[in-house]
Amino acid sequence: MEILLQLVVSGIALGMIYAVIAFGYQLTFATSGTLNFGQGEALMLGALVGLSLVGTIHGGPYMSYWLMIPIVIVFGALQGMVVEWIGVRPAIKIKSEFGWIMSTIALAIIFKNVAENIWGKDDLTFPTPLTATPFQFFGANVQPMQVAVVLGALAMMIAVEIFNRKSIYGKAVVATSNDRDAAGLMGINTSMVITFSYALSSATAAFAGVLVAPLTLTGATMGTALGLKAFSVAIIGGLTSGMGVIVGGLIIGISETTTGFYISTGYKEVPGLVLLLLVLAIKPAGLFGKSAIKKV
Amino acid sequence: MDKKTLIAGAVGIIALAVLPVVLDNPYYLHLAETILIYAILLFGLDIVVGYTGQVSLGHAALFGIGSYTTGVLYLKLGLPIFLAAPASIVVTALFGALLALPALRVTGPYLAMVTLAFGTIIQILINEMTFLTDGPLGLKVPKPNLFGHKATEVEFYYVVAIMMVLSLIVVHRILKSHLGRAFQALRDSPIASDCMGVSVYRYKVYAFVISAALAGLSGSLYAYSEEYISPNTYDFELTILFLLAIIMGGRKTRSGALLGAFIVVTLPSLLADINLFRQIATAAAVIGVLGAGFMLAKGLRTVKEVAIPVVATVCMALFSYKLENITDWRLTIFGLMTLFVVYYLQDGIVGFFKGMFVKGSVRDLSHNVVVVDESKAWAIAPSTAGTGSELLQAKQILMQFGGLKALNQVDLTITKGTVHGLIGPNGSGKSTMMNVLTGIYKPTAGAVEFAGAVISGNTPSAIALGGVARTFQNVQLFGEMTATENVLVGLHNTFRSNVLDVMLHTPRYKREEARARERAAGILQFAGLSALAQEEARNLPYGKQRVLEIGRALGLNPQLLLLDEPAAGLTSPDIKELVAIIAKIKQHGITIILIEHHMDVVMSICDVVTVLDFGQKIAEGRPAAVQADPKVIEAYLGGSVGDEAPAAATPTLAGI
Repeated sequence: MEILLQLVVSGIALGMIYAVIAFGYQLTFATSGTLNFGQGEALMLGALVGLSLVGTIHGGPYMSYWLMIPIVIVFGALQGMVVEWIGVRPAIKIKSEFGWIMSTIALAIIFKNVAENIWGKDDLTFPTPLTATPFQFFGANVQPMQVAVVLGALAMMIAVEIFNRKSIYGKAVVATSNDRDAAGLMGINTSMVITFSYALSSATAAFAGVLVAPLTLTGATMGTALGLKAFSVAIIGGLTSGMGVIVGGLIIGISETTTGFYISTGYKEVPGLVLLLLVLAIKPAGLFGKSAIKKV
Repeated sequence: MDKKTLIAGAVGIIALAVLPVVLDNPYYLHLAETILIYAILLFGLDIVVGYTGQVSLGHAALFGIGSYTTGVLYLKLGLPIFLAAPASIVVTALFGALLALPALRVTGPYLAMVTLAFGTIIQILINEMTFLTDGPLGLKVPKPNLFGHKATEVEFYYVVAIMMVLSLIVVHRILKSHLGRAFQALRDSPIASDCMGVSVYRYKVYAFVISAALAGLSGSLYAYSEEYISPNTYDFELTILFLLAIIMGGRKTRSGALLGAFIVVTLPSLLADINLFRQIATAAAVIGVLGAGFMLAKGLRTVKEVAIPVVATVCMALFSYKLENITDWRLTIFGLMTLFVVYYLQDGIVGFFKGMFVKGSVRDLSHNVVVVDESKAWAIAPSTAGTGSELLQAKQILMQFGGLKALNQVDLTITKGTVHGLIGPNGSGKSTMMNVLTGIYKPTAGAVEFAGAVISGNTPSAIALGGVARTFQNVQLFGEMTATENVLVGLHNTFRSNVLDVMLHTPRYKREEARARERAAGILQFAGLSALAQEEARNLPYGKQRVLEIGRALGLNPQLLLLDEPAAGLTSPDIKELVAIIAKIKQHGITIILIEHHMDVVMSICDVVTVLDFGQKIAEGRPAAVQADPKVIEAYLGGSVGDEAPAAATPTLAGI
């Protein structure tokens, strides 16, 4: 029983990371109907840049963990703008779905390769800002960093939601996601809103990167698997529902830790991926998503 | 098949046959073999990516399934190649179906991610199922036994070459048949495909399964060719390599697939040599600068447009001289190439040269005019049997979108042999009614009966095959297909041939294809489009597009034809022609429902008119009676029925 609780706790922390990345998918999907297939790489770059700032790898540490976070968020935002500018904007202009899928994948490959050349191919340890000593919670060992991950992820999502609902700029984002053409006619610079959504999306991913890095190892290859699983989460929860990604993230996170323990670590990703196929077969809009009415 | 294709084919086959004689270096022969193996997979991938327009990131996994099926069957059961290779095809096709059945219900980014997830699962399974696959250690598969001895490298090369040529022929035949037309149609307009009786979902699954089968064959040959397979070969990078090959070579052409295979197989060897890479990068930069200069001089592009590729190629050239070790940067170069191809070479290398060639020579279309008897357009002789009986009955149709009742308890009875007008102000529910009748919307309540059977709830394609054809308010042609091919998609229902018939060109298939082409020519003649038969639909003038849509719908042999604002946007001579066409269709015993805003058209050809307003039926009857109905006038012109209208100026709808 304690083992199960332990697994659930780790699953929740993992699941919240997936939820944050999936939330990033939702942001860009809402404004432009496109996704960044390199979302996992945005996370990886955030974590590695953070590591250079607080770790010893590039002559550091230059600053404390908490001071590094805003810098990494700004870096993530810039990275997202580059992706939008090179990979997505030309594709939206020529209305090519194939175009943005392939170019965001190509950019992801480039980022990963560049990261391998800068930070090396091996996984690196990330210094943890909180004590690594776990505390007891109903018999399960909980690391303080796990709690930080859950709180940080929730805070990030709530902050973006409040921004969208309360501020006038957020209203521009919501308007663009409802009807891009109409929003454009009302004087909203929709291409700027799309760029902004990419910046926001990559910034969330970079933030997630530095949150998760102290719990896992950091390296050029860490992003791909996370990005793919976050996509499962986004589809299972629905690409339009904020609640959906949290529930989806928890389902995938917990199924992964329990499968890893009870069956085999090699198979830990399988239940999530199978669930993804099942959801698509039964309710393609996702568990919490609304299906759109096609118009003729 | 024309002469040029035959000659090109013969030259190609001879080249393949003499290659091992010319090339006695085993390394190069192995590369050639790999190119041919990749080409087989790419033919299949092109069906999915090029023709149906779906993005699959799962083809490396399918390739792996093909390899491992062969490997496992050889090692565990000792099966020979002529059993193992077909088994690979079947098993991979089954996996393809397993993936396609859920995945193809969704499109675009979803499909891409689902296929990626599939790829990941397969790689995990290959790694973990050590009792079958030996996990990361991989399997050793020796060259197969042929005619009692182990095949040499050259002999196996010939096996691969023969399989490549066979695949080429089979794929080419499938794509030129009604199946290929269905694949293309569903890409250009899914909704119109469904309404022509070509079920989008079903044909997407077919395309995917055929594609998977080819990936299986290719994977099987790859296992024998490499003599060693391991899970790491079949990763995400390979999938992207395949996609790059297809878009770089050129979509929708077999030569593009071959060229793409050649490029991606030779690419790693090219990139292994730093000096060669420097030369290539320099050449690319020079071409980039010269090309940009040429474009600017001719005024084809603006400075802003050419800036990115010029800067990119020049930077790449400079970068190449700074690099010490190229292999570490292989993936970056690979990613940059993908970006370049996606944005600057969308039709691939083959498409690019084709485009230059076609622009250079004006195509002469006149010799393509096929003169046939117009009567060939009709499957059956005109009949007026059963005229006057009820053909379609919509009972108490309620269609609700959220709180909005787009149709509120509407009854509609269509009498056989009539032209039934459906009019009403914008937003009155006419098009919604059309969509309910053709199965695009499932009514919230109520039922539609057609020829005595309830059809509401059936799929659009089933309803279309049952004899209800339609056109669309905003034209939904298959833009990249010719006028003839558009009509042939409408005639899809006349084909009984299956994939095997198409692959083998059986008499049945040949007979059906000839008959369909004859009827298509007849329909085009009837619609006055014979001269434009070989023109792509997107290039036709608007008025002709509208008529072509009607022609395509006639291919279904409909009992009932629904025309959704066929005269919208037409000039008055075009409208006259349209009215004549509608009258002729009526003479052939086809019942018509006509939605139209041109009142003169409605009044002149309709036998009965139904008027909708705010989702409700407000009047029905003979055109003249409806025209004078005060409720109708109110709906169109506003005001209330009780208003005292000046007696001298009672409005009528004549002018609307």
